[in-house]
Amino acid sequence: MTIPARTWGRRELLARTAAGFGGMAMAAMAANVRQPHFAPKAKSVIFLYMDGGPSQIDTFDPKPRLHAEHGKPLPFAVPKTQFNNNFNILGSPWEFKQHGQSGTWVSDLFPHVATCVDDLAIVRSMVSDHSEHTAANYMLHTGFGMQGRPSMGSWITYGLGAESENLPSFVVMEGGIIPAGGMDNFGSGFLPAAYQATMLRRGETPVANVRPRETLTGAQEAKLALSKRLNQGVVARLGSNSEIDALVSSYEMAYRMQSAVPELADLSGESAATRALYGVDDPLTAEYGRQCLLARRLVERGVRFVQCINPRVKGHDRWDQHGRIVAGHTDNSRAVDLPIAGLLKDLKARGLLDQTLVLWGGEFGRTPMSQGSMDLKFAGRDHNPFGYTMWLAGGGVRGGTVYGATDDYGYFVAENKVHVHDLHATMLHLLGLNHKQLTFRYGGREMRLTDVHGEIVHGILA
Amino acid sequence: MRPSLAIFATVGLLLAGPGIDYARANRFWSFRPIEARAVPAVRDTVWGKSTIDRFILRKLEDKGLKPAPPAGRATLLRRVTFDVTGLPPTVAELDAFLADRSPQAYERVVDRLLASPHYGERWARHWLDLVRFAETDGHEFDNDKPDMWRYRDYVVRAFNADVAYPQFVREHIAGDLLGAPRRSADGNFVESPMATAYYWLGENKNSPVDSVESIAERVDSQIDVFGKAFLGLTIACARCHDHKFDPIATADYYSLAGFFHSVRRGQLAVDGAVPRNEAGLPTAGFTWSVAGPAFALFNGRLTSGSISPVRQGVAYSNIFTLQKRYVHVRTAGTAGVKLMVDEYPLTTYNGTDREFKWYSYDVLMYAQHPAYVALIDQDPAGHVTLGEVVFSDDAKPPVREIEIDLAAGNLVETCPEPMLTLAPVDDAVADTRIHVRGSHKTLGAPAPRRFLPVIAGLEQASVTRGSGRLDLADRVTDEANPLLARVMVNRFWQHHFGRGIVSTPDNFGATGEPPTHPELLDWLATEYRSSGWSAKHMHRLMLLTKAYQMSSGGEAQDTDPANKYLYRFPVQRLEAEAIRDHLLAVSGSLDLTMAGPSVPVYVSAFMDGDARGKPKSGPVDGRNRRSLYINVRRNYLPDSLTIFDYPQPISTLGKRNVSVVPTQALYLMNSEFVQQQAARWAERVRHEPDPVRTMYREAFSRPPSAAEVTVAREFLKTQPLESYAHALMQTAEFLFIR
Repeated sequence: MTIPARTWGRRELLARTAAGFGGMAMAAMAANVRQPHFAPKAKSVIFLYMDGGPSQIDTFDPKPRLHAEHGKPLPFAVPKTQFNNNFNILGSPWEFKQHGQSGTWVSDLFPHVATCVDDLAIVRSMVSDHSEHTAANYMLHTGFGMQGRPSMGSWITYGLGAESENLPSFVVMEGGIIPAGGMDNFGSGFLPAAYQATMLRRGETPVANVRPRETLTGAQEAKLALSKRLNQGVVARLGSNSEIDALVSSYEMAYRMQSAVPELADLSGESAATRALYGVDDPLTAEYGRQCLLARRLVERGVRFVQCINPRVKGHDRWDQHGRIVAGHTDNSRAVDLPIAGLLKDLKARGLLDQTLVLWGGEFGRTPMSQGSMDLKFAGRDHNPFGYTMWLAGGGVRGGTVYGATDDYGYFVAENKVHVHDLHATMLHLLGLNHKQLTFRYGGREMRLTDVHGEIVHGILA
Repeated sequence: MRPSLAIFATVGLLLAGPGIDYARANRFWSFRPIEARAVPAVRDTVWGKSTIDRFILRKLEDKGLKPAPPAGRATLLRRVTFDVTGLPPTVAELDAFLADRSPQAYERVVDRLLASPHYGERWARHWLDLVRFAETDGHEFDNDKPDMWRYRDYVVRAFNADVAYPQFVREHIAGDLLGAPRRSADGNFVESPMATAYYWLGENKNSPVDSVESIAERVDSQIDVFGKAFLGLTIACARCHDHKFDPIATADYYSLAGFFHSVRRGQLAVDGAVPRNEAGLPTAGFTWSVAGPAFALFNGRLTSGSISPVRQGVAYSNIFTLQKRYVHVRTAGTAGVKLMVDEYPLTTYNGTDREFKWYSYDVLMYAQHPAYVALIDQDPAGHVTLGEVVFSDDAKPPVREIEIDLAAGNLVETCPEPMLTLAPVDDAVADTRIHVRGSHKTLGAPAPRRFLPVIAGLEQASVTRGSGRLDLADRVTDEANPLLARVMVNRFWQHHFGRGIVSTPDNFGATGEPPTHPELLDWLATEYRSSGWSAKHMHRLMLLTKAYQMSSGGEAQDTDPANKYLYRFPVQRLEAEAIRDHLLAVSGSLDLTMAGPSVPVYVSAFMDGDARGKPKSGPVDGRNRRSLYINVRRNYLPDSLTIFDYPQPISTLGKRNVSVVPTQALYLMNSEFVQQQAARWAERVRHEPDPVRTMYREAFSRPPSAAEVTVAREFLKTQPLESYAHALMQTAEFLFIR
C-alpha cells in the first residue's frame, strides 16, 4: 500500500529542501548523503557504551605490580576522588592471559572478546577531564563536560547526512538504563532537532509513535490522503512553498518508517546460528545480544551511528562498582562479553566490519586502590579519569594493536596520552571528516565536536 | 565573503596591538549611540503612512521590490492572535471581528490582545528562552530548584503589567537590593526580588570533585546569559583570552565575574506579611541571615520553633574559611542542618528528636575553602534549634553538657508556607582574580568589579555597595548603553515579523549579522526609550503597520529569496508550545488556568530507563494546561515538544531552530495525545448543524471553500468525523501561521 502521493527522488528532494528552511532539517532522515571531506574508511559507528566506568586494570590493562603491592598504600599522592574514602592497593581479582596472534593481554572477565583481539586496537592511555559520571558522560558523548552540546551521533549525521530512506540515522538502544546526565547525552544541542537520537526499544512500538493506532484497514491512509490534498490547496493559494513541501514529504517518510522499523526490529528471520552467536536466547545475554544484533541490522541498512548501552544487571549499579567489584564486574561482563564477540564476528563474516567502526568503553576507568574496604567481598574502586582503556575495531583500525600505557599502578597515563577529544578526532577521521572543518556556527563561534582540541591517533590506524 | 568577515577585518585591525582601543572600537555600529533618524521619503505615500512602513517601503523601493497586498481579514486575525497570545482566535472573536466594519476594527483587536493576560504567557516564554529557564539543576540527580515556577510567573506578570524594561533588568541584576522594590498588584508580596532567581537558572553539578572549577563554570554560564540576553554580546568568549572579534578583554570578563562570585545561592521571603531576608542575627559566633517567618533568636539561641513548629524557613551563617579538619554542628529538633562548602552541600542531617545532637563533617579535602552552615526547616510539624558550631582537629565533638531548653513554642496557629524565592545573597564579596587562559588553577591580578569599558567607559567609579550589583544594574540600564534598547526592540521585531532586523538576536558583535534596516532599528530604539520603555507601545506600533498586515502569498522574489527586506509576510511554523496549545484549544480541553506550580512532565516509554533523578510521570495530556506550565526538568524535557525544537535550557536562545522531521509526522499521526484531542474535538462538534464549517473556523479561522466542503463530504461517506478531525490536525494550515 502506498499513499496516493508523489514520492520525490533523492535528487529532487535535495534540490527542493536544500535552499532554506527545510534543507538541514530534512537532511538527517531524507536519504541525503553528503560528501565527506575525504575518502572514508568507515561508513557507520557502533558505540558499545559501558555506563558507569569499567575498570581498566581488571579488563585490558594488566598490572602485576598491583599484585606485588596488594594491601600497601600507593607510593604517591592520590588526587581527590569522587567519594575520597580510599584504602590501599587492590590487586586485580582476575587473571590476565595472552590471546591471538598478537598476544594481547585480556582478563578472564572477557573470554569471548579475547578471541577477537587481533581485530582490536586497545587504547590503554585514555584520559578525560572529569571525575563525575554526568560531566564525564557529556565529555565522552559531546566533547564538553556540561549539558547542551550535540552528541557525536548528531555531529556525524550532520556531517555525512543519511543513507537510509526510511530509518533514522542516529539510533540509541533503550535497554533499561539511561546514563547519568539523561537524554542530553544523545541530544542535538544547538544543531537542529533533526539530529537528535531516536530511541529504539523492545516491544510493539520500537520507535515513538511508529505504530498506527487505526484499527480499520485504510483508515490511516485515508487521513493522510486527505491532509495531503488539503495541503495542496494551501500551496495553490500561497504559491509553492518550501516549508510546506518539507512537511508533506516528512509524512511520506514517516509512513515508510511505520513498516521499516518493525521489519528492522523483527529478529525472527535470523538463523539459529546467528541467534546463538549473539546469545539472544540465553537470559544472561539476551538484552545485549538483541541490541548488538539490531546494531548490525541497522548498519546494514545504512544507519550512521548506533549506540548500545550495557543492560541493567540485577543487584548492581551499571559498571559503577564503588563496592563489591568482584560480583559487579563479573555480572556485567557476562551480560555483554558474548554479544560483543558475536557482533564482531558477525560483522566480519558479512564483510561489514571493514566499513563499520566499533567503539567500546565507559566514561572513565577506576582507581588502583580499593574504595571502602580491603575485604574482597566488599572492596570497590572509585572513578579514575586519568588513565583508562577503550578499544576500537573495524573500519580503518589496525587490529592487534595495543596503544599507549599507564604507569605501573594503572593510575595515570605514562605514554601516548589519548584525550577524549583525540578519540573524537580519530573517529571523525575514519569517517572521512576533518574534525576542524566539521563546524556549526553558534553563539558567535564556529563550534566543533573537538572544541579547539583533538589530534588524530595515527598509531591505531591501519 | 560573509559580511561579518568584512567587519571582522575592520575590527581586527582596531584590536591589533596590545590591549583594546575602546574609543576606536566604539565606532562599530552596535556600540555607537542611538541616533534619532530622519524618516525617509517614499514614492508610495499611501502605503508608507506610518513611520515604520516608510522605513520598510524605502528599502523595498530602493531594491525594486513591491510590498504584497493586504492579507485577508481572517488570516490577519489568526496571525495576530497567535503572535500576541500563542492561542488561536475563538469563533466568537472571529465573528466579532468580521462583523466590525469600522476602520478601527483591527486596532481594537490589537488592543484587546495586548490587554489579555495570555499576552504575558506568550511573551514570558520568549523571555524564558533567553535565560535558559529550567526548574531543575540537571547533572546526575537533576534536583529541583526550589519554587522556580515563581520566577516564570513573575515574568508573566511583568509583561502583562508592561514593566519598563530598565526596571525589569534592574530587578534581574539586583532586585533584592532595590531601595523601593516594586510590590505586587494586590500588595501582598514584593515583586522585584523574584527576578533574581534568574541567577540560579543554570545547570548545577551535584558533588563536584573540583568545586572551585564548578563555581567558575556556574559564573561563566551566568556571564554568558547576562551578555547575550541583556546586551546581545558574547562576553563569555573572553574567558580564556581577549575576545577575538569584539572589544571585550579577558580582564573585562573577570571584572564581571567578580559580581557573580560575590554572591551565593540563598532564598528570600517575599510575602508582605513577613520580614524580608534579615541579614544579621548574631549568635554562636556567626551572623545569620534568615528567610521565612520561622527563624528568630529566642533566649539568645537561633531557632525555627520559638512561635510554633508550623512555621518554616531557612537560616544561613556567614561564610567562613575552613581551617581545621572537622566541623561539628550541634542542633536539636526534627528539621535539617547542612554544611555548604563552595556552595555545594555536604551531607544533610535531619534530627529526629528534641535532644541536642552533634553532626560532624570531615572537611580534610576542603582546607581553606569557603563554607557556611545552613539550617533548613521545611517540616510543618518540626523545628530546628542551633546549639553550637565547633571547629577542631579532633574527629570527636567536645563532650559537654548543654541545657535542653528547647525554645519550641506551642502556640497553635495556622501559618502559610513562606513565599520563598531563590536569590543571590551577597557574601564573600571580593574582586575576582584573572584566570590565566581560563584556568582557576593559574590566577593573575584581581580585576576590579566594573561593567564593560566599551559601554561604560574606562573611567568608571569603583563599586560602592556590597557585591556592587546595584552599581552594575545602574550602569547596564544607563542611557549610555545603546545595546539595551537596540537588542530588545530587535527581539520584538523578530517575533512579530519572523526575522530580526539583526538576524542574530543574541549577537550584536562583529560576528553577528549587521542590521538590514539600521535606521529603522535606531528609530525603534529611540521610540522605545521615549515611550518610557513600554513593550506594549512597541508591539502596537509594529502590529498596526501595513508591513505586518501584508499577505504571505505570491511567488518568491529572486532579488530577495530570504525575504530580508520584507516584501511579504513570512509563513512561519508555530512553536512547539503553540502547536500543543492549539491542539488542546480546538478539542475544547484547554484549561486556561494561569500560574502556579508546574504540571509534572509526562515520562514516555522512551525516557523511562533506569536513571537517577527520574521524575514520577505526569499525565499524557499535561492536565490540559498551557505548555508554559509543564515542568521544565533539565534531564527530562517533554519529548513531544523537543521534536518541534523546544529548546534545551543551555544558553540564551533568541531564535529557535525550525526543523521538519518525520518524528513530528509520526507524533501527529500516531501519538496517544493527538488522537485523544481529535476524538474530543469530533465529539464536541458532532451535533453542530455543520460540523465541518465549525471545525474549519476553529482550526483555521475561516470557513471551508466549496471544494473543501466537497472533499469533506466525500471523506465522511466512508470515514468517521474523528478521522476528519485528526486529518485536519496534520495539515500545514493547522501548524503554520501565514
